[in-house]
Amino acid sequence: MPVTQKDLMKTPKKALLKGHFACAGCGSALAFRHAIGSIADEVILVVPASCASVYQGSGKGVAFNVPTVNTAFAASDAVASGISRAMKKKGKSNLKVVVWGGDGSAADIGIATEIGACDRQENILHVMYSNNVYGNTGGQRSGDTMIGARTTTTPEGNTTPRKMVPFIMMANNARYVATASAAYLEDFVGKFKKALSLDGFKFIQIDISCPPNWRCESAHSVKISRLGVQTGIWPLFEWDRMTNNVVLSTPSKKYEVVENRVPITEWTSLQGRFRGITEEEIKALKTDTERQWNFIRKFL
Amino acid sequence: MVVKHETKTMTGNDAASYAALYAKPEVIAAYPITPQTTIVENLSRYVDEGKLDAEFIIVESEHSALAACMGAAWSGVRTFTATSSQGLLYMAENVFWTGYGRLPIIMPVVNRCLAPGWNIWPDFQDSMAFRDAGWIQMYTKNNQEVFDTTLQAFKISESKDIALPSMPCLDGFIISHTSGQVQLPTPEDAYEFIGPYSDPIIEIDVDNPWAFGAMTGPEQYSKNRKDLIVAMERAKKKIVSVHKEFEERFGRSYGNGLVEPYGDDVADLTIVSLGTIGDETHEAVDRLNEEGLNVNALRVRTFRPFPEEDIVEFAKENHKLLVIDRSASFGHAGQLGIEVEAVLKRNKVDTPVIGIIRGLGGEDVPYTKIMDDAKESLKG
Repeated sequence: MPVTQKDLMKTPKKALLKGHFACAGCGSALAFRHAIGSIADEVILVVPASCASVYQGSGKGVAFNVPTVNTAFAASDAVASGISRAMKKKGKSNLKVVVWGGDGSAADIGIATEIGACDRQENILHVMYSNNVYGNTGGQRSGDTMIGARTTTTPEGNTTPRKMVPFIMMANNARYVATASAAYLEDFVGKFKKALSLDGFKFIQIDISCPPNWRCESAHSVKISRLGVQTGIWPLFEWDRMTNNVVLSTPSKKYEVVENRVPITEWTSLQGRFRGITEEEIKALKTDTERQWNFIRKFL
Repeated sequence: MVVKHETKTMTGNDAASYAALYAKPEVIAAYPITPQTTIVENLSRYVDEGKLDAEFIIVESEHSALAACMGAAWSGVRTFTATSSQGLLYMAENVFWTGYGRLPIIMPVVNRCLAPGWNIWPDFQDSMAFRDAGWIQMYTKNNQEVFDTTLQAFKISESKDIALPSMPCLDGFIISHTSGQVQLPTPEDAYEFIGPYSDPIIEIDVDNPWAFGAMTGPEQYSKNRKDLIVAMERAKKKIVSVHKEFEERFGRSYGNGLVEPYGDDVADLTIVSLGTIGDETHEAVDRLNEEGLNVNALRVRTFRPFPEEDIVEFAKENHKLLVIDRSASFGHAGQLGIEVEAVLKRNKVDTPVIGIIRGLGGEDVPYTKIMDDAKESLKG
């Protein structure tokens, strides 16, 4: 069932209350509100060290209105495994265990834990909200940082392609893998709910804007995410282990064709992290984008 | 009341496994490491054979083993894992998370030294590295005590007024892989002793959501840690009372549960130690006594919480202490020796303390060696 804008407004209860600490224009908080909101009465949240461990708020004023367990950076998927098994033992398998963390944990420090849970087919969903940087610590390069991005540890621009975690999860036999964008929330929430309807390890990577680290206008948060899709930088797709097929998501279909894509510079020019990006870097970024599309095409 | 027993020959790891089997944990997660591995294997077999109705999570690392147990503990179920040496170190941040998070996880540590170089033999460097992690630590002397201590650990840790994880420690190979006689109670009696974990310390509840471990300011943070300090104090009394209850029910005891004295009440020299060295010391004391030397012994069974009062009382009555450590705090001395000296000083007891380090990396510590050390100490 496709999710409509109207559906986005209907939640069992608010998942994100007033007083959260997310930055203005945070794509992760926006995605959280709608996705976690859609199942707010039956979700258990596991949060690794990440922006979500900060923007959930503090003390008695925690803004996450769902059970939330904060874990060490690399521990979340294992903690979620323990919760999921315990709930099964208690006859509460109806509860959804969701890991909500950034790209630092999902692409780097926690990837072994994540693949471990995937390998065991734990009944959990890992949502990797992706700002391509260690945001919480002030913007250092992560394995998810793309070519050309200026971070505090790659001040002259990152030279290596991003680690494509969705492909890694496909190769490790996940039940369901999808990509999403904070600019297309209906698409994201649809995938989120679909993932939760399936048994086993599910993985969704969602592209979210990060105004402080991307050095962009807060008001451009959604616009930049949309351009991420329109430039082809971030292809939206779903993959199901049962069919081993990739299905391109509606917002991305048109952009499989290179000629239809919006020039990458329209996306980079809105972000300070790409200030000073060279022609060669743009070229390398385009080449790497095409490499990702070529990988996806093998499963179409 | 002394209940029915069955005597079986088994290794120390088997004894730990039986205690876990009888406690009926609902979630177990573990990762193999020598010399702990046979515990994991035993538990997998119990689950596969249907003897134990538990979720067994075959994790990809020790870090995840403890993390999975933490998830289960937050969900309000009884959990169990076990590890050794490098595995314990690999868990490190979660060991502290568990202790500071007050999760009642039971995790036997089969003591093994740390690399480099590769060596699978025992010393206490691994568990000693975690003496400040907020775990109850009890060092055992033989296979029977492994079973008894592990069983008692469930009852102590899961008490609402304690809420601390427990690390029963057993010397690798000397206990873990050596067969000995163990008196087993019936599974029903053992389970009845600890009871079901039906009123959990903490439990995830979707109808009453809370956030565990969110950002915490200095005031609340320090309050939480001070609570832990106080809980450790309470744990001392709890260990004694559970130990006493155990003794009444099953007829076995280890001193008062915190320390186990051996020999005469008063002696010229007291040999203080942990683990199997404590057991070996009995032989040394008997032979020294036969030679006309006035020596007794005190085995520190519970290292965390540290039995300050018992050690001070014992030291007051005796003339000199020889503390044998099987680990070192490099740049200082053996940890037990340091702490014994500290509590004597704090309590203004001037009994001299001699500290020595023996048995690192499985170096043999026979009673003959202990006798030599004792004679040397008597001279000084």
